[in-house]
Amino acid sequence: MTTLDIAFAGVGLVAAASGLLAVTTRHVVHAALWLVVCLGSVAGCYLVLGAELVALVQLLVYVGAVVVLVLFALMLTRAPIGPNPEVTTSRAHRALAAVLGAGVTALLLSVLLPVAGPARKRPGTSNTAVAEQVFGTWVWPFEALSLLLLVALVAAFAISRMTRAAEVAQSALPEMTAPERISQ
Amino acid sequence: MSEPRTPRSGGALPGLLKGLATTARTLARPTHTTEYPDAPPHLPPRSRGVIALLEENCTSCMLCARECPDWCIYIDSHKETLPATTPGGRERQRNVLDRFAIDFSLCMYCGICIEVCPFDALHWSPEFEYSELDIRDLLHEKDRLGQWMPTVPPPPALDEHSAEPAEVAAANKPARPARAAGAPPPARAARAERPERPERPARAERPARAERPEGTARPEPPADSVPAEPPTPPSTASESGSAETKSPEPTSGEDQ
Amino acid sequence: MTDVLEVTLRSVSVLAAFLVLPLLVGQAEHKVMAHMQGRLGPMYAGGFHGWAQLVADGVKFVQKEDITPAAADRRVFRFAPAVALVPYLVAMAVIPLSPDLVAADAPASALFVLATTAVGILGTLMAGWASANKYSLLGAMRSAAQLLSYELPLVLAVASVCLAAGSLSLGGIAQAWSPWWLIWQLPGALVFLVAAVAELQRPPFDMPVADAEIVFGAYTEYTGLRFAFFLLAEYAGIVVMSLLFAVLYLGGWQGPFSDQLGWLWTLLKGLVIAVVIIWLRVAWPRLREDQLQHLAWIVLVPLALAQLALTGVWVVVSA
Repeated sequence: MTTLDIAFAGVGLVAAASGLLAVTTRHVVHAALWLVVCLGSVAGCYLVLGAELVALVQLLVYVGAVVVLVLFALMLTRAPIGPNPEVTTSRAHRALAAVLGAGVTALLLSVLLPVAGPARKRPGTSNTAVAEQVFGTWVWPFEALSLLLLVALVAAFAISRMTRAAEVAQSALPEMTAPERISQ
Repeated sequence: MSEPRTPRSGGALPGLLKGLATTARTLARPTHTTEYPDAPPHLPPRSRGVIALLEENCTSCMLCARECPDWCIYIDSHKETLPATTPGGRERQRNVLDRFAIDFSLCMYCGICIEVCPFDALHWSPEFEYSELDIRDLLHEKDRLGQWMPTVPPPPALDEHSAEPAEVAAANKPARPARAAGAPPPARAARAERPERPERPARAERPARAERPEGTARPEPPADSVPAEPPTPPSTASESGSAETKSPEPTSGEDQ
Repeated sequence: MTDVLEVTLRSVSVLAAFLVLPLLVGQAEHKVMAHMQGRLGPMYAGGFHGWAQLVADGVKFVQKEDITPAAADRRVFRFAPAVALVPYLVAMAVIPLSPDLVAADAPASALFVLATTAVGILGTLMAGWASANKYSLLGAMRSAAQLLSYELPLVLAVASVCLAAGSLSLGGIAQAWSPWWLIWQLPGALVFLVAAVAELQRPPFDMPVADAEIVFGAYTEYTGLRFAFFLLAEYAGIVVMSLLFAVLYLGGWQGPFSDQLGWLWTLLKGLVIAVVIIWLRVAWPRLREDQLQHLAWIVLVPLALAQLALTGVWVVVSA
């Protein structure tokens, strides 16, 4: 047991515990905040394993942007302080989810446990190596993914423009007040 | 501010730069702050700080107390009889001021009391540092009001080509040089704001005018006190009365 | 044993810088803003030109009652200031003052600073939601929208510099800097400055705390030391962003006698940028919410992308 092992076990436990809390709490916003802790400790896992760049990107994208978006959406809708009874799911759902989660865990364990041997080495992957892999070996999948994202982005813009055009047409109606028109 | 930055409306940048330039220029210049408790503030003339009372001038006429919109002036007085100054003279009555107080917790500094005072007993003083921890201490009695008197500034100088103040003009009338000049109190000689003011030199002159026809005859003692000279009093009275009717001053009747 | 000692020493010095530099910036703001408005600013605390004003403010904040609203989500409410404050403390640890003078030399420190400062948003969001106050919630939503929008141009501008230097490390970027960058990276620098001011929610981008509309935004319900922590986070943010600008765009420690005085150069350049940020606050009015988003998406993002493309083309051509 090296210090890195202990650190990895620590952040792993935190990640697992916060993930569990995120799905069991009935405070909607608390769930999102536990998700922050979970994603942050996953970033910690990456860091302990020597993948610094991945850890930072995880932090920047997931903690800094995705969860903020989730929280933003929660605040825009009704997110009361305190437990929200509407969030509960039926027993059948819960049982199904537990079975599914256990199944995924078992699958992962069955794949990963044979690989985990006593001899562990943690090669620190340098940023240059990651870049060479991404823009060398994996450049075509990478480009395909970015193209997909671009298409999705353009489509999102198009959809928002379409609804906006419809609203503008509506705003020609006489009962529309000036501030509403401005807000559009 | 972003409006100018957006490509559609291009005119924003000059305004932004101007804002930066203005603040930078102000930064380079000396500040306007005067550090008040350390440096005395520059107060303009006619600042309304506190109301000072010149007790000698007050006749307890109650005009100020009655005109005060806040009813914050309290005056108590009584009449005192003065014995006659000359043997056989008449006893005189005069008002003695017992209490004159202004409650500055009520006062709204309108200055009406100062405007209406016919005898210049109230004055504006620029002193303003008389805050108290207890609101009741803002009730200034007459001794406290009198203490403000030395802080009353001299009246502002007249404009260069302005008309002579009425009382000075009256005092300088060539016809009656000596007496007229001595009559007005020196402190008031320069003040011209009040309409009542011309009355003072007039009052000083009136006895002089009344005396003139009689020469050295006593103007004051009336008939009842001196029975030895029955014919003179009526004549004096009639003479002085005629003199007063002749006198051009419109306010002469007030003194009777 | 020496390792432990060294780590402790580095941590303590970062903490000291974290406590002293924001106070310096705050005092500079007090005085510069006052003189730009024809005033003197604080003059009494500490004797000489009110140098101890912020210390006195700190003492005042400590003495104040720490109130948690009855309807608030207590734990989130109490934890939010720490979430807002700590990321800047961590970010400050990797900013180099000179090639040798850096608390923690991370290989991807530019990305590290961006990632940690992005976490700071969460503190504001938590504060705004947990306060159980409509103004706080409005403020939190405004700041979330604003910070998400301006994160993108900020990252793109930094990416351009990283591309130009061929390094993700702040030290490497400052080493690769040359005066020619002042012109070449100027659009990126402007984008970075504007986006940094917006990230800090400083005027003219202080819509989330617009006091005329929503009291003090997400911080409305905070008192005492917790409120002071939010203020400290704001000024620590100015320090981090100013030093980051100095290192990325102004060459950090490069200058005369950089062997001995490199750290001083970095600090001076950072101070100049901090004064500029204060200056913008004094000179310019606040942006409206829609103008804010307009500026981010219509002006800054295309500009940053153009800068990135320009840098990329130049790097490829010159290589």
